Amino acid sequence: MTQRLWTALAEVQDPEMPVNLVDLGVIYGITERDGVVEVNLTFTAMGCPASDFILEDVRERLLREAGVREVRINVVWDPPWTSALMTEAGRDALESWGLAV
Amino acid sequence: MPTAAEFDQTIKSGELIESPKEMTPEYLRELKHTLIVSGDTELISAPAYYLAAKRAPSINAFMTGIAIIQDELAHAHIAYHILEELGEDQEKLIFSRDPKSFRYPYAFDVPLDTWTELVVANGMYDQAGFCLLGDIHDKCSYGPWKRGLNKVMAEENFHLRNGRTWMKRISASGGSAKDELQRAVDWMFPLSVEWFGLPDDLKMHSTQLEYRLKGLTNDQLRQWWLSTVVPYCEQIGIKVPAHKETRDGKDLWELDYPFPCAFDAEAKRWDFKQPGSWDEVLVRWRARGPRNAEMVAMFQEEFHKFRKTHHKNGS
Repeated sequence: MTQRLWTALAEVQDPEMPVNLVDLGVIYGITERDGVVEVNLTFTAMGCPASDFILEDVRERLLREAGVREVRINVVWDPPWTSALMTEAGRDALESWGLAV
Repeated sequence: MPTAAEFDQTIKSGELIESPKEMTPEYLRELKHTLIVSGDTELISAPAYYLAAKRAPSINAFMTGIAIIQDELAHAHIAYHILEELGEDQEKLIFSRDPKSFRYPYAFDVPLDTWTELVVANGMYDQAGFCLLGDIHDKCSYGPWKRGLNKVMAEENFHLRNGRTWMKRISASGGSAKDELQRAVDWMFPLSVEWFGLPDDLKMHSTQLEYRLKGLTNDQLRQWWLSTVVPYCEQIGIKVPAHKETRDGKDLWELDYPFPCAFDAEAKRWDFKQPGSWDEVLVRWRARGPRNAEMVAMFQEEFHKFRKTHHKNGS
């Protein structure tokens, strides 16, 4: 099931950049028990102006998955996000958009 | 410099123009004019949005508001930077022009006083900016500008998201919050509709289209805007004075009020019972609105003050 949840979050785009949250490397972990999903995620900056939107999108997308009745999100800052956490696909997406990563 | 005929050929072939050497003086003049409108619009949106963003209802909302303002300043910078490459003096353009000679849509001269009005601006004015810049990004014959807009489009999308998310949220909360949202839409919707300028039947000739500085006419851009804003407002339960009609199998968005009509900027109120003429609109635009001088002064005053003291201390 968690594999399915990772796939679901790979459909959630960052509100500011053309890259999804999984490829951006901000999703640190997903666990599920009895329909309660717990997500650890971070933001690329502490002053992320899109943080509310991201939380909303993650919650909304996971609740659309069969078997999910509750979503708990923990915003974590350890380890701090760096561009090294991006996947190869994320790097390619941002580079073709014109961002050096 | 190419001859008029050579240049005409380049434009018709769809090739991009890359430097002033490849332009005729007429093209250069029209390109500069279009860039000044774009730069001024982005620049003035910063003080206009800032005066309302101060009233954000949460820290995160304030951060979003400030991030949008930062984006707008960056977009202005793109336009002014290109103008500089084309021989204009950026400092003079921004800091030495009379407030009335700035070329941005009249809508920004009407004060945004609340967070609600700010998010409607993000939902409607930024949608207008998105249509105008999207068209330039798609069609513009000047390469450096076309490419400079790559990131701008993604950022404008973020502004729209802020506008739409908050409009939906406020509408859903109902009561006096929703009434306030409806009042904001009531005066801001028609201001956005006139953003796109004269209707095509009054504007017989467009040099901008001829030079492929843009690809869509005023009415086509206005239709594009209506086709995104009207359904969204209806979806979230907000009334707008426009509807869709199907003619010859094509969707057409029609306004439910005389366009143009009389506007009281101080009261932020349209009088749909008083049809007006475009000559009157042009007079109102040229005279500028309530906040023009204050907003331009917001960045010009400090610049000159700093210049003066800096000079004194240095000599």
